[in-house]
Amino acid sequence: MLAVNAIRKRFGQVQALDGCSVSVGRGRMLGFLGPNGAGKTTVMRSIFGLVELDSGEVLWDGRPVDLAERLRFGYMPEERGLYPRMRVGEQLEYFGRLHGLGASEARSAASLWLERLGLAERAASKVEELSHGNQQRAQLAAALVHEPELLVLDEPFAGLDPVAVQTLADVLRGEAARGAAVLFSSHQLELVENICEEVAIIDHGRLLATGDVDALKRASRRRRIELQLDGAPLEWLPRVPGVELAERRDGRLRLEVGRDVDPELVLAAAEKSAHVVAFSYGPPTLAELFLELVAA
Amino acid sequence: MSGLSVITLVAWRDMRERLRSKAFLASTLLILALVGGSAVLGRLADRQTTYRVAVTAPAPPGLADALQRAAQPFDDAEVQLRVVPSLAAGRQALEAEQVDALLLLSDDRLVFRSNVDAEAAAVADAAVRALRRQLPPAPELTTATLHAPEQESTDAAVLVAYAGSLLLLMSLAFYGQWVISGVVEEKNNRVVELILSSVRPRDLLAGKVIGIGLLGFAQLALIAGLAAGMLAAGVFDAPAELAGDMALVIPWFVLGFALYAVAYAAAGALASSQQNAETAGQPVTYTLLGVYFAGYVALSADAEGPLASLLTVFPLSAPLVLPARSALVGVPLWEHALAFVLVLSSIYALVRFAGRIYGQGLLRSGAGLGLRAAWHLTRSDGAGTHPTIT
Repeated sequence: MLAVNAIRKRFGQVQALDGCSVSVGRGRMLGFLGPNGAGKTTVMRSIFGLVELDSGEVLWDGRPVDLAERLRFGYMPEERGLYPRMRVGEQLEYFGRLHGLGASEARSAASLWLERLGLAERAASKVEELSHGNQQRAQLAAALVHEPELLVLDEPFAGLDPVAVQTLADVLRGEAARGAAVLFSSHQLELVENICEEVAIIDHGRLLATGDVDALKRASRRRRIELQLDGAPLEWLPRVPGVELAERRDGRLRLEVGRDVDPELVLAAAEKSAHVVAFSYGPPTLAELFLELVAA
Repeated sequence: MSGLSVITLVAWRDMRERLRSKAFLASTLLILALVGGSAVLGRLADRQTTYRVAVTAPAPPGLADALQRAAQPFDDAEVQLRVVPSLAAGRQALEAEQVDALLLLSDDRLVFRSNVDAEAAAVADAAVRALRRQLPPAPELTTATLHAPEQESTDAAVLVAYAGSLLLLMSLAFYGQWVISGVVEEKNNRVVELILSSVRPRDLLAGKVIGIGLLGFAQLALIAGLAAGMLAAGVFDAPAELAGDMALVIPWFVLGFALYAVAYAAAGALASSQQNAETAGQPVTYTLLGVYFAGYVALSADAEGPLASLLTVFPLSAPLVLPARSALVGVPLWEHALAFVLVLSSIYALVRFAGRIYGQGLLRSGAGLGLRAAWHLTRSDGAGTHPTIT
């Protein structure tokens, strides 16, 4: 289990991390969220000793992380980069060996991942000859080749097409199922909601919320109501206290209400004015929760 | 994963990737062609050796032809025969360097200015024998000189030592650029974050220096091998004792190469990008030139003086100065030992220093560090407040 405990880091005038804590257990997948500049990358770099912390600690299974532990971690940094003139297969083999694999072990792991990520035919190509998407895959393979116990990925979904997103999501699920602790940052909140059971949301270098996605959503003081009405007046709104209009389009309404607002009242008000085609009530989406937390 | 195996992996990768690059192969072939070509040109120039011989009148008929025939075995050397009216005129021509030797047939003597040229003597001797139809062994001609022989100025050991220093200087300036661009490679292609997530900066740096250094060395050895091959084939002339003198030059060449390769690596560690790498090496290059010329001046002025002694053991100058000074005046064993230990410690300290600033430079958003900042970082190391990079 990875535990980042109350880490602090100041860069000149900027307090990048202000007592931030994050943890993720083996076999779990944590979506690491926060607006730009919140400190996500700095947290991830600190796991690999790429940031000198002012205070706080990074623990793996309760022990401070050092070079020996990091050999069992896999990392996809924000700054993507591989050796451009090195062949893809040999490059993966090299990273495997740097993480302590033997020569033949590294070779078979490299070809296994190339196969899984659909790069097997490009094994002898130089990295610079690959398309952007394939370079991303090679980068991912470099993080995975040594079967890490902890996988840390900085924005792995950024810039991927829907097919590649699906592949990556499957790979990450597979890694968690294998028993790895997986932590990745993303701004694609819908995606995170779909594939992660757990999230951590940080801003200004501090943890705002962490835990099970559903529990966090339920704990929100807000709820969402979606309505589809037929024949309602153009400017219709339910006259119920604590209800705010979030969106109105083509007779569909999205309302934000307080947790204590009774949805029956909203539904009753709607039925009085028009024919209700659809009605739903529930906790906010992850994106709404995120905005609620970050704006607070 | 031990540091040593990481260093080996890094060194091996760097060597293999460079060996595969067309630029490396092209530069190797170019240098080999230059060395081979210059030797062939030198040999072509050598062929035009001409012996100018004067003889007092009357010259026996056929002497010129006999001399030319006798010169044939000596790389087709040419003999210009000049007939002078008298002994005095002959001496004058010899003194005025209009001729190289004066043949006095009346008293079977061959006179040179100050040093006897063995080849010219052999040519003249063979020609005179042929004319007189006499057979060896009795030497026909005795040689003499007008003046006492000049002091032999090209003592082979000194030559080798000075040439070794100069070669080291030039190799370092050349391969130093390789090292610097190799060291900034990871920063440029941004693979550095990935590498340093599992490798200590100093291990990465040491591996790169060793890989690039060994390859540079292999290239040099190839060139030296070509030169040695041509020497054996008789393309070059070289003093026979040359091999013995190399014994001291080679190990100091290796040590000097290692020391300055690491120094260039440290300079590369301070640089932030390729553009910067060009200028980053300058302090090291200036230091190198500085100690080379200081050593040259000190040895020329007083090879046994205090400055020469100091430069013999000072680690940055020892590899350039020690072999030359040893050839000139001899260096006591303890100075050899001291210089050796100091150079090795400097290499180790520089690797640590370079590794630290390399890592630190990256931790500060990838920008290069000034020397002052780098120094400050290495000073603050002792406090132990930075557990993350070691």
